[in-house]
Amino acid sequence: MTINMLKHSLVELDARSRAESILDEGTFRELLDPFAELESPHLEKQGIVPQSDDGVVIAKGRINGESAVVISIEASFQGGGIGEVSGAKIAGALELVLQDNRDNERVYPVLLFDTGGVRLQEANYGLLSIAEIGSAIVALRKYVPVIGLVPGKIGAFGGMSITAGLCTTLLMTREGRIGLNGPEVIEQEAGIEELDSQDRQRIWNAIGGEQRVAAGLAERLVADDSPAIKEAIHNAFEADLHENPRSTQVEQFCHLINSVEPTDDLQPYEVRKRWNSIIEGETFNYDRHRDQAVDAEGRGYTWFKALTGIVSPKSEIPSVLCGDKQIGDSNTRFISVVPDTHSKYPRARNGEVGLEQGWAIASYVHQAIEEDKDGEKRAIVAIVDVPSQAYGYREELLGLHQACAAAVDAYATARMAGHPVVSLIVGNAISGAFLSHGMQSNRVLAFDDEKVNVHVMSKSSAARITRRTVDELEEATKKVPAMAYDIKSFASLGALHDLIDGVNFDDPTRKDVELVREQLNEAILDIKISSRDLSSRLTSMQAVEQGRTASIKVREKLRELW
Amino acid sequence: METLTFEFPATRTLNSYAHVGVVGSGDLEILLEPSSVPFVRVAVRTGSQGFEKTWGEVLERFFTLNDMAATIKINDFGATPGVVSLRLAQALEVSQNDNKHVKA
Repeated sequence: MTINMLKHSLVELDARSRAESILDEGTFRELLDPFAELESPHLEKQGIVPQSDDGVVIAKGRINGESAVVISIEASFQGGGIGEVSGAKIAGALELVLQDNRDNERVYPVLLFDTGGVRLQEANYGLLSIAEIGSAIVALRKYVPVIGLVPGKIGAFGGMSITAGLCTTLLMTREGRIGLNGPEVIEQEAGIEELDSQDRQRIWNAIGGEQRVAAGLAERLVADDSPAIKEAIHNAFEADLHENPRSTQVEQFCHLINSVEPTDDLQPYEVRKRWNSIIEGETFNYDRHRDQAVDAEGRGYTWFKALTGIVSPKSEIPSVLCGDKQIGDSNTRFISVVPDTHSKYPRARNGEVGLEQGWAIASYVHQAIEEDKDGEKRAIVAIVDVPSQAYGYREELLGLHQACAAAVDAYATARMAGHPVVSLIVGNAISGAFLSHGMQSNRVLAFDDEKVNVHVMSKSSAARITRRTVDELEEATKKVPAMAYDIKSFASLGALHDLIDGVNFDDPTRKDVELVREQLNEAILDIKISSRDLSSRLTSMQAVEQGRTASIKVREKLRELW
Repeated sequence: METLTFEFPATRTLNSYAHVGVVGSGDLEILLEPSSVPFVRVAVRTGSQGFEKTWGEVLERFFTLNDMAATIKINDFGATPGVVSLRLAQALEVSQNDNKHVKA
């Protein structure tokens, strides 16, 4: 007779015990533990009780004798949401692991994801942190595999699903889920006919561990058993660093999304089947027979046309415009995401970053990297007017987070290869869309205009999810500028290089265009004499004086304790 | 949110620091530091307003039964009196027996 024995569940443990359970006995050493009391400075002001470790555990130790750093997120505190302190703990730890590996000291980074993404109460701090985390992971992958695990309970959602999508090796349990937009958010934004967030079976079938591994969006399925998980993590140390990680497999994923027809009632098993056929060499090319006209509207279109001088922009994917043009002495590639009312993905017709957009951005950026491999690295300008990411069931099923991770990866890779990357925010810069298109640049420029917004979620949704009225939310933004939507508040966080004023934003004259080109040129020249990471966002005057003080302090303390 | 402070006499000293719990729904986090003065001092931050009397009674009962000189911080997210007492007992146990939570 076989008896089912109780396993050593990892899912049931809290974040600290999870980290302990995968490190060799007696080697666990926590940095910035609860008694360091580096808690969020932004929650108490909003009447929310903080936690002493801000919901993230950073532990050094050994895994089967090899040096490792485990980063573990506590899902029970604020849904594992990433705020300024918790985000800086993760980014700061990864930056130190990167330094160690650059100094030929091999340390393996392991991330245990259990998070809804950005902590809405600290909004733009979450976005900034997640961009810095992503940048560190892309840099690290050259030296050492970055291992992610989604054990399950919450899963990996929002901006942190993009982070997971950047890992060299992603492990999941059956209970684990990964997706850009959580089911509740999709139901809220797109309606219950798009997805019923109570339909557990449909959700796990689409975004659960088993499906994700079978559809090429995670590497390995593991049982919820601590010793087995530890072994799987240790095995992942052997990953071949010359193999292309998931977020750079642009071609295969483009075939996957090209294989989908708008009328398809797409089922999870169908996605697995197509993925397997693509792995075996089958190709699906973009349907060129459909209408290729570009919607001539919106600031993204206006400024793309103005800055490139292309009279009637055309593109293989009508919603992603790409063109090259000289700025000063620099060859420059401009990329803009624009509305496409004919898109076969109905959830991405208004300028949202969806599947096609994420992979197209990645493809255009990689093309520039490849073409300039041996010569002058052209500058890349992301023209940003993105209202949101696409909210849809089909989007999640086909791995929208991975499309976003591909765009993040491409921009970060270009920046680190020496391409000056600038983003020019001409309209909205919201959430996962902004993370994918704009947040990985060396310098961020923005129009000083009330139509320019930077945020993580629409006001009405953010109010509903944090259980406040829109008025209460507006009140909170006065105390925490990171929660505000306007560009001046975002500027106070120190991540903006410059605000551009005195031009007609909707209908620019030739002089206006010249002025913007000069600003872009100035930014590009500044980048050429600066470092290739995102550190300028933490060293600017606004960041040091007020905007990022906690982010800076966390990094200093981590360095001391390292 | 509300911050409450309490103080009770105490004589027995403790071995080490202890940290237990999480600021999650219906739960709380306790940070316990041994103290050399003959008091147990408790600072509570709670998301639920208006329960000062209840907190006073729960804490008084616990510290009457458990003599311990310490400085305690509690971050509460709506824990019931039963959960509060369990977490306090757990913190005391960790402080006396569990070496891995000793502050470096």
